[in-house]
Amino acid sequence: METKTLKTTPLNSWHRNNGANMADFGGFDMPLWYESGVKNEHIGVIESAGIFDTSHMACVMVAGKDALSLLQLCHTRDLANLKDGRCVYGVILNEKGHVIDDAIVYRFTSRHYMVCVNAGMGKDVALHLHANKKTLDATVDDLSEKLAKMDIQGKNSAKILSLIIENPDSVFEKMPYFSFKGFFNNKPPFSSDDTSYSSVVNLKNGTPVLLSRSGYTGEFGFELFVEPDKIVDLWETILKAGAKYNLIPCGLGARDSLRAGAVLPLSHQDVGSWKFINNPWMFALPLKPDNPVGENCTVVKEKATLVQENFTKDFIGRDALLSKEDLTFTLPFAGETLRKVSAGKDTRVIDANGNDIGHVLTCATDMAIGWHNDKIYSIASSDKPEGFKAKGISCGFIMVDRKIEAGEKVTLQEKKRKIMVTVMSDIRPDRTARNKISTFLP
Amino acid sequence: MKEISELNLPEELKYSKDHEWSKVEGDIVTVGIDDYAQDQLGEVVFVEVPEVGDTFSKGDEFGTVESVKAVSEIYIPVSGEIVEVNGNLEDAPELVNNSPYEEGWIIKVKADDLSELDNLMDKAAYLEMLKG
Repeated sequence: METKTLKTTPLNSWHRNNGANMADFGGFDMPLWYESGVKNEHIGVIESAGIFDTSHMACVMVAGKDALSLLQLCHTRDLANLKDGRCVYGVILNEKGHVIDDAIVYRFTSRHYMVCVNAGMGKDVALHLHANKKTLDATVDDLSEKLAKMDIQGKNSAKILSLIIENPDSVFEKMPYFSFKGFFNNKPPFSSDDTSYSSVVNLKNGTPVLLSRSGYTGEFGFELFVEPDKIVDLWETILKAGAKYNLIPCGLGARDSLRAGAVLPLSHQDVGSWKFINNPWMFALPLKPDNPVGENCTVVKEKATLVQENFTKDFIGRDALLSKEDLTFTLPFAGETLRKVSAGKDTRVIDANGNDIGHVLTCATDMAIGWHNDKIYSIASSDKPEGFKAKGISCGFIMVDRKIEAGEKVTLQEKKRKIMVTVMSDIRPDRTARNKISTFLP
Repeated sequence: MKEISELNLPEELKYSKDHEWSKVEGDIVTVGIDDYAQDQLGEVVFVEVPEVGDTFSKGDEFGTVESVKAVSEIYIPVSGEIVEVNGNLEDAPELVNNSPYEEGWIIKVKADDLSELDNLMDKAAYLEMLKG
């Protein structure tokens, strides 16, 4: 009999000693929720802030004269104009146009990049980069064992971090969405003379940290990368500093419901071994401004076809995306209430004519939102109706075999259970991820 | 998740393999989900209950419990007619988590044949099953 040994993050004992409900996620023993429960964790992030152990994620360092060329080939975003200290979200495709993994690329210098991918994917992505390196002058190092990561998400994140980092005023100055500063150890592989990048951010105890204004909840916040032996102390220090803001630890349950409401895909569930096209994440493709993608940038317009010239660069998977074969359509939906169905191929999508048109990729419940007069409001909406109470709305993604406009209603059927849902262009309103950092500081 | 030794499993109840509990008073059987089930499911956000007057055969699905994590069917341990449902669960589904055997009960069934309950497990047998 084969026994599966789960991997652990450096925070595993902390989670177990603090009442976390643990489960296998991507081969790691991870917290699903803590004692306060998923609903409180989800709402805590919207109303104040929460922290997440994301050390199961993997990072790969790509360096050298041709590092950019290698990443241009293997990542879907056009990185040619990416500045030092900026990062972008995209996907890594194979020749079939299928997703190997989604990945954020961080640029330190013109010759130094970091690629952050999902749990257990560091080795696969490093192998894929190696395999496509050929004659290019670039090195690829899996950093999985060399760093740990946690996220702080929610509107009070910067206020809380300002209590524990050195020189917070200068660190938070000029820190737009998807920018980053610092490095996760004292030995960055580049000299500060080579880059306009602010390469030093320290905690008050001197620990170097890579601080990135990003995350996966749709809310304002940061990802923090440190050496693995520093993460428990960082986690406890942040929790202590954040106590006056009711900062709470959050598990993968809240992360899943927050990201679903924010229309963000879970890799290998919402994007995976099918073509990366006709989905809400077409912004991750290097499309020229005048392209045949629909106005809300999700679906290629009817009758229009993507051609090579619509892209700003060549990349692995491009030609497969140009072909009309095996096309699917991935769309966000919102239910009428918080009632949900299980995700998977057994939960079918039935249109108004009774046709089975596909299946459910994700179905979670965003507990911070509710319907009022055919419009979704969030507890964070400034225009919410008087006395508004967020009852929660189920939401997620469906994959279907035809184009569906936002507003169309379909039925999700799991055995005898049915729920009616509406195809949406967006779900949780008034998210804070992109707001100016100055609005979150005292 | 709770360790098996931490579970609250009252001695006086009977347990099914699907993690429902049953309590018999006269010919009325009260049914809910047990501490193991509520712990596995996590925070319950919705409980779908049948109508009073509905009739079911032993083993039928009579409702669902939805948690933040999953949707789970619940099965009736005895044939009979629903005589009462717990109306408080509509506004407070978390009662299933906080008080699975008291305030979080789900249905009361007027049983056709109480002997159908004979093959349910007592606490000791149920614990054995959980330990596998």
